[in-house]
Amino acid sequence: MNNPPSFQYPTGPRPGETAWLWLVKIVTGPLLVLILALHLTVNHYLGSAHSGLMTYDDIVAYFRNPLIPAIEILFVITVVTHSLVGLRGIVLDLNPPRSVLRLINWGFGLFGLLTIGYGIWLALVIASKST
Amino acid sequence: MNNQPSSRKLLTWFNPLGRNPGAWAFILNRLTGLGLTFYLFLHLIVLGRLAQGPQAYEEFLELTKSPLVKLGELLVIGAVIYHALNGLRVVLTSFGLGIRQQTQMFYLSVLLALVGTLVFAIRMFAG
Repeated sequence: MNNPPSFQYPTGPRPGETAWLWLVKIVTGPLLVLILALHLTVNHYLGSAHSGLMTYDDIVAYFRNPLIPAIEILFVITVVTHSLVGLRGIVLDLNPPRSVLRLINWGFGLFGLLTIGYGIWLALVIASKST
Repeated sequence: MNNQPSSRKLLTWFNPLGRNPGAWAFILNRLTGLGLTFYLFLHLIVLGRLAQGPQAYEEFLELTKSPLVKLGELLVIGAVIYHALNGLRVVLTSFGLGIRQQTQMFYLSVLLALVGTLVFAIRMFAG
């Protein structure tokens, strides 16, 4: 392996990444910082027991506030989107053939939708236990 | 390593020779991103225990007392802080802001990630 040539941090869309996908990554990033700060503070700092984690009863009580499931659903949508767009950026480094990239696009899209669906279902199940 | 895709690019991540701070920032961002993506899906799977009821969830809480799990959580905390701060740096420089200060911002991101991890470590292990 030779010494890497002079490196410039990529700050715009990568080759194979559309401007829209780049914009999604750039917008979801700062949004995630805000939502994650809230998520971590409430779940791991204000939690009552067990190394900063909330107990089952704490979580159920916390989800009584209808704003919480909404924030957690927004969090799941944002974080899954950001992570899969980022993961696709890493795959682009491997210079996959166009047919493989198309398969990855569909695979990541489907996986993302299923994960978001699961996250929404989970948030609603926990919220339903609060009623 | 440049901005053009290449199948050899992944291997160059692990070459420590001749790196500039921008390259380290990029590599760290990628590695923390991969780690956090893995953690995200693991976290979602584990939280599925909430749907199974209190007993299943309390069993998971017992597991989080293990030092190995706590060490893993610390890695996640460090990765989150670095990835978030470096990401904000990238957003700023993408819009032409703070370009002259970007190396200092990278060092600050690393420093704050280390300090943040240390604070959480003290809270986790000594608290």
